[in-house]
Amino acid sequence: MKVLLIEDNVELASSISAFLAREGYICEVSYNMRDALDKLISFQYDCVLLDIMLPDGNGLEILRFMRKDQVHSPVLILSAKNSLDDKIIGLEEGADDYLTKPFHMPELNARLRAIYRRKKLNGSNIIAFNEITLNIDTFEAWVNGTMLDMTRKEFDLLMYFMVNKNRVLSRQSIAAHLWGDYTDNLSNFDFVYQHVKNIRKKISAANGTDYIGTVYGLGYKFNTSRQ
Amino acid sequence: MKIVDRFTLWFLGVTLLIIPINSVITYQSIKGQIDKAAITRLKHVNERAAQQLARGEAVGEFMQGCRIKAAPSDSTMPADFFLITDRDVKHDPDMEDYDRKITVASWHMINGVSYKIISGDYVTRSEQILAGLRESIMWKLVILIGLIVLTARLASRLVLAPFYSTLKKLQRFNLRSRTKLKFKRSRTKEFNELNCFVEKMTDKAVDDYIHLKEFSENASHELQTPLAIIRSKLELMSEYNIEGEQAVLISDMQNAVDRLMRINRSLVLLSRLENNEFECEELLDISRYARETVNTFCDLITIKGLTMDYRIEERVEVKLHTALVDILLNNLIGNAIRHNYAGGHISIELNSRHLMISNTGPEPQAPPEEMFLRFRKGTACQSSVGIGLSIVKQICDMNGFTIEYRFQAGHHIITIDFPSTFTSSKLLQNDTRYLHEKTQL
Repeated sequence: MKVLLIEDNVELASSISAFLAREGYICEVSYNMRDALDKLISFQYDCVLLDIMLPDGNGLEILRFMRKDQVHSPVLILSAKNSLDDKIIGLEEGADDYLTKPFHMPELNARLRAIYRRKKLNGSNIIAFNEITLNIDTFEAWVNGTMLDMTRKEFDLLMYFMVNKNRVLSRQSIAAHLWGDYTDNLSNFDFVYQHVKNIRKKISAANGTDYIGTVYGLGYKFNTSRQ
Repeated sequence: MKIVDRFTLWFLGVTLLIIPINSVITYQSIKGQIDKAAITRLKHVNERAAQQLARGEAVGEFMQGCRIKAAPSDSTMPADFFLITDRDVKHDPDMEDYDRKITVASWHMINGVSYKIISGDYVTRSEQILAGLRESIMWKLVILIGLIVLTARLASRLVLAPFYSTLKKLQRFNLRSRTKLKFKRSRTKEFNELNCFVEKMTDKAVDDYIHLKEFSENASHELQTPLAIIRSKLELMSEYNIEGEQAVLISDMQNAVDRLMRINRSLVLLSRLENNEFECEELLDISRYARETVNTFCDLITIKGLTMDYRIEERVEVKLHTALVDILLNNLIGNAIRHNYAGGHISIELNSRHLMISNTGPEPQAPPEEMFLRFRKGTACQSSVGIGLSIVKQICDMNGFTIEYRFQAGHHIITIDFPSTFTSSKLLQNDTRYLHEKTQL
């Protein structure tokens, strides 16, 4: 999957591209609008990560250019502007998703995957790994052919793990993913622990392998090497 | 009370004070002049009587219309000595004619014989003078009051016109429209000074508003980007094989970055609230949002082992911006969950009059009135930023809700009273009309 990252901050751009490279994406970076437009005209991308505030212009202009010139790559806006109006403008201009800075990397990955599924795989709604299968349309989780009785939050969390396989997911990033922007003022992340515990219990009960491991001090990891 | 009425009243007060004093002075001086004239005349009569006696003519009972009496006297007084008496006499009791009489007595040496000559005359009594004065005072008062009221109106129309126009402009002044006020020059020095001052002040307010807005927009961007970098680097770092101690360090850093991020976001939100960026004219069905929020928090409540009951009335409509309703509810219910103990209880009540959230929890250490201040938090929760309630307070203040906190029988109770939309809007309408009428003149 080929991604174009348009971000003027070199540090942040290097972090994101390093992260995405590990995930197996091919990531190209543009630090300004001119360069980004050149790349968009010349190449095809599976997804464009777009920062709105750029040194030589507004990211929304790139969006307009893409919509006018029939560049069909999906666009995920990354912006420090987090007001409702900004989000509405961004999405109405034709972006597919809007993520406010600072975001968690696994969150970016999950959103990227979701966009990719929607746009490129014509809404393929199955995520599978070994014996675990998730149907993201019906919110059903299957292990060895048995359907798990899961709450919506548990389903979302399991999906988050499976999209971010072999990554350390911090409790904060899980909380932000499950609860959104304004619930992060909740002081402790006990409920993350509870949800993870429930998922592991339910998978084990269906004779599945417990891929989810605790990373000491940091959070959790969906470990594909476990047997 | 209008400024012109105040001036009129003052003038009237001064007039009413001066007129009695004035009339006392007038009365005294008229009476004095009358007496003086009578005395001079009587002295003159005495002189003439003395001359007549000296010529050897007898003096009759009356001379020049005054009663006169001349008789030889034993005592001698200097020639220029006059004894003046002034008394009220009962001339004719049947006619009740109380008159005032002035008599002048003098002593003369005529042909070696000492004579005492007394002459007397009736003069105008004080009541008669007063009666004359009274009428003139009445007329004076009527004319003065009429003129004062009339001229005050005229003067205020002409002189105070710049003041009223300034007032009207100030009433319509709105920071968000970002238009600066311009005033016409007036011939009154004070009004020019006032206008100049108001112009300077509002210009500064507009400039400050624009700067503050720019700052809060920039602050978000300028701070979020480095925070995003730190956070992303930490996340990349945690991907490596790290030892236990390092993991704890990374985790601590992540927590600190998260906290910074939350503070930054909350402060930016607060400043945007203070700039009144979320003004709204439409009614919003808060019941729907309340139910959604309760559902979102449901499993969190179960995990924490809390029980909850809620009574949410259908279609409760309040004037509130959509972006704020989630913040308001999330902060309040989030707080109710956080400041609670295992096995505690939360109850939520929403109806057209108020929203009440009550939860069990340890007694607060700080006094209740400090609850809504920034960065004020209970000791129990170190990780909270302590800004959530001040955001809630700000939202309430902006939308005319009254918020109240109390701790009662082991329960923290927060009540938000909604203004009844119908009456409040009517009152407001009346209020503005009243204000404009006042300035119309």
